[in-house]
Amino acid sequence: MTTTTERVSTRTPAVPARSRRRPNWNLVLRIVLLMIAAVLTLGPVMWTLSTSLRSPSESFKLPPSFFPWNPDFTSYAQVFRQLDIVLLVLNSALVTGLIAVGQMVTAAMAGYAFANLKFRGRGALFSIVLATMMVPVQVTIVPVFMLIRGMGLSDTLLALILPAIPTAFGTFLMRQYFLGLPTDLAEAASIDGASPWRTFRSVYAPLAVPGMAIVGILAFNFHWNEFFRPLIMTISEQNFTLPLGLVSLQGNLGTGSISVVLAGVVLSMIPALVGFIFGQRALQDGLTAGSGK
Amino acid sequence: MTGATTGRLRELSRRTALGALGAGIVGATVASWPRLSGSDIPGRGDNSLSIAIMGTSADAAARQRAIDAFTRLHPDIRVKVQAIQAVDWKDFFTKILTMVAAGTPPDVVYVATEGAQLFADKLAHPLDEYLRRDAADMAEFFDDVHPSLVEAFMYKGSLFQLPMDWNAANMYYNTTAFGQAGLERPADDWTNVDFRNNLAAMRKARPSDFTPYYWTNRLFGGVVPWLYANDTSFLKETRSAGGDWLWDSFYANDPSRNLRSGGYQWLEPNADDPRVFETFDYLRGLVKDGLGVRPEEGGGSSLVGLFASNRIGTTPAGGYWVQGLHEAGMKENDYDVAFFPKWRSQRHQFGTAGYAIMKTAKDKDAAWEWIKFSASREAMELIFPNPVTTPARRSMVNEALYAGKGPAHWKVFYDTLDKYPTTGPIPAPPQQAAVETALMKNVSLAVSGDERQLKQALESMQRDLELALRRQS
Amino acid sequence: MSTTIPRRDRPKQAAKAVKAVKPGTPATSQTASGRHSQRWLAWIFLAPTILGMGLFTLVPIAASVVLAFFRWDIISAPTFVGFDNFAEVVQDPTVRVSFLNTIAFVIVAVALQLGLALALAVMVQEKMPAWLRTFFRSAFFFPLILSAASVSIFMRYLFNEQFGVVNWFLSLAGIPAVPWLTTPGGSAAVVILVYVWQNFGFSFLLFIGGLASIPMETYEAASLDGATGWRKHVYVTLPLLSPTTLLASVMAIISALQVFDQPYVLTRGGPGDSTRTAVMVIFESAFQRLEFGEASAIGVILTLIIMAITAAQFRLSKRFVFYQ
Repeated sequence: MTTTTERVSTRTPAVPARSRRRPNWNLVLRIVLLMIAAVLTLGPVMWTLSTSLRSPSESFKLPPSFFPWNPDFTSYAQVFRQLDIVLLVLNSALVTGLIAVGQMVTAAMAGYAFANLKFRGRGALFSIVLATMMVPVQVTIVPVFMLIRGMGLSDTLLALILPAIPTAFGTFLMRQYFLGLPTDLAEAASIDGASPWRTFRSVYAPLAVPGMAIVGILAFNFHWNEFFRPLIMTISEQNFTLPLGLVSLQGNLGTGSISVVLAGVVLSMIPALVGFIFGQRALQDGLTAGSGK
Repeated sequence: MTGATTGRLRELSRRTALGALGAGIVGATVASWPRLSGSDIPGRGDNSLSIAIMGTSADAAARQRAIDAFTRLHPDIRVKVQAIQAVDWKDFFTKILTMVAAGTPPDVVYVATEGAQLFADKLAHPLDEYLRRDAADMAEFFDDVHPSLVEAFMYKGSLFQLPMDWNAANMYYNTTAFGQAGLERPADDWTNVDFRNNLAAMRKARPSDFTPYYWTNRLFGGVVPWLYANDTSFLKETRSAGGDWLWDSFYANDPSRNLRSGGYQWLEPNADDPRVFETFDYLRGLVKDGLGVRPEEGGGSSLVGLFASNRIGTTPAGGYWVQGLHEAGMKENDYDVAFFPKWRSQRHQFGTAGYAIMKTAKDKDAAWEWIKFSASREAMELIFPNPVTTPARRSMVNEALYAGKGPAHWKVFYDTLDKYPTTGPIPAPPQQAAVETALMKNVSLAVSGDERQLKQALESMQRDLELALRRQS
Repeated sequence: MSTTIPRRDRPKQAAKAVKAVKPGTPATSQTASGRHSQRWLAWIFLAPTILGMGLFTLVPIAASVVLAFFRWDIISAPTFVGFDNFAEVVQDPTVRVSFLNTIAFVIVAVALQLGLALALAVMVQEKMPAWLRTFFRSAFFFPLILSAASVSIFMRYLFNEQFGVVNWFLSLAGIPAVPWLTTPGGSAAVVILVYVWQNFGFSFLLFIGGLASIPMETYEAASLDGATGWRKHVYVTLPLLSPTTLLASVMAIISALQVFDQPYVLTRGGPGDSTRTAVMVIFESAFQRLEFGEASAIGVILTLIIMAITAAQFRLSKRFVFYQ
């Protein structure tokens, strides 16, 4: 970032025309630095992948190898023998999917109420909602556990799903989202004499979808990887989610094999990776939207 | 006008799509309701005898043949084995306590030494009455099982579990690394000085990408075997009176009969004992001179891979390790096992495990039948076909179990008990979780700095242990 | 906070949204019946969230506060002990150290996370080929999709003292093996590095969004005034980005205060208490030692501290956050 008069541009930028004449040192330096960062970010993942594809006795190969030239799948077979990966994925998908849908719907409704509807105590209520974000889950887990027991839901997936649906962060995001929509829309509707419900349904609800998508993706990402609540709330391995199953691959007293553990890690990445490929665009667009399209 | 129509059409199809999506979500939720509510888990909520073991469903399935055999014997008792995944025993006990808290405790739990007293103190029902009643049937079992293992499950004069499997901390060594350093198989009574010399020789032969002594920081096989070898421990060890009813009826003629008691007691911290300092200082010396690693806290799943790739000279482990090394590709002559080195004593450390009946069990008689059956030779052969642990029955630790997998001196495993009858269990009072934390968190600091840091670490260990033992649970 | 929201009419709207602690313009009609039906709709819309939060957050918080005055091990009935739990917690050196660790962790990890994310976001947003930008954005975002537990599992191997890849690379540079996971300094560093490695991508995305919302005319004006390179970023980017920075830092701090997975899997809080965090102590005392009252007392103290920090942050932000 030394010599430039370039603007910060967010449009898809053209390759700088000047670069034909003399090298753009700013660009070169930036790309080198970013490449280093990218290698540090992706390197450990590559190492994990390539190690999972080596036999246990090769797992600590040094110098490290980052590409699986001669893949050996025995560790993967071992994972499937030790864990019911399909069930783990199904559980994780059910839990995260229902939490995401639940959060999208409830957050959109609550966010809309906080943004666009007038009622007494709105500010105070919103502050309370925000404040709950600050309470660590570890603080409330014991009473929640007893509550779940009282509801007869101990050691079920519902015990993971239900408490996660009310979302302060999602409500906050949706409120900001609705506030960001142009107000003349609603004015037009209200001139037509539409009721608040009609205004919501025909004007705002359709526009809310991109915002809900962000809430959904963030919820999915967070709960797919959640470790602490499943650690406490589920006991039967039939109710385990992926992260829990993986940790138990490490084995007691060092009897586990690193290649097997890493094979499990790689397998658990696959569903998230698929989600990443599809969700990434939506999320990035959501978070960076409005950049001049 | 066409625009308006298509707009309406689009609106319509959008609605249909949204409606379909909503219906789909609702449908999927309804369809997966059994999964969500856990009602598809077999045996949930019925009144069959529920048995919790640590492991995966694969481990539970491995017990199916034993369950089938049991059902043939007792067609009236229905049994379900619930495998509970956990990283270590502490984690497993957390899960059992969570089940108690959730109001769904199992009837029978497979408990290791680490939790024996926690369960005996709070959760388990003693076996005394059943053993007295079925003494005639049980004589054969106790004949085949070393009394040290049984004593580990004595608590205040009552017996709470029958040992099923166990492991001592022996010393595994890599035969190739020993050979390269010009070392012979160590004598049975090798000392801590011999051990150190061997490490130095291996270090000389392989200066890099190799560690002569690899160990991890945990209750079993960490610092405790060294403390035992030096005839001390980090807790003051005493014994409670009682238990003669058992020793007299089953071990009257055992040479170590007069050593036996009503159970171990660990009531006071002992980290300020000069021998504890001496032991830690020895280990600190190994670390300082590059002979041993600084121990990492926790399981150490790197261990198999490192050992199997000839990067480790020696490491403490028990009979449980044979299968893992075999699966990692080690041949039976690539490694061997020796006794733990001698210091002031050659007392070894062991851990054992067995079934405990929960106080809350609905049908304790049925639970006892399961325990009694599991202790039979027939059942143990079904449960332990592979050397993933050492069976408690002496007669089962035989040639056949280790054939083709090694080690050459597998006899070391059971000889640890027979030759060293003072060999003792992992120190684990009812406050085990707090005690374990108090020990483990100070070990790394103690062995990886200077003498001052060692002293400080032991002082803080003493204080942490005091706090831990004061706790009620 | 505007930056997380797709908008049509920035940047005015952005500023409004940022101040959004105060609600924006009411959108529907102002007649009496309108207000009446608005109120009805509002309560219907709020019902699931408010009831859910009441049941699963507020009631448990209240229960936690009550529980803090009892001794309870789940197995036997609870007994009232007054302030004993608080007294014990305050005296317990492990609890004290873990709170200090948490605060130190938050300061270092959040500073690293935000600094790294901001620097990378600025570099990515300047001119470069589109495919490269997409690649970098995806790369930096990638660790976020992994679970902290599995990341910690493989990082444990990478940071192994004797056989880890990290030390192998360092040895190429002639640096002797670092005892990462077995010394207090080393393990604290690993926990921070692993945490930041996984989480900087989120702040990065927020900053990308924030940068995108800075109108280009501002930069054009700045460069006319002769501001270039560094100065341009110091005088234009940073002030205009401050709402995003506030959002990113509030979120980063809240999540860093609750760090659990990484130290739990990487170091179990050791060696010593060097990587024990506040929430780990809560977990250990509740679920490993069955001291539910004591755990609640620690939780209550922690919650109060978090609230104080967040309040202070908003106070400070009034002074330092620049709204257009």
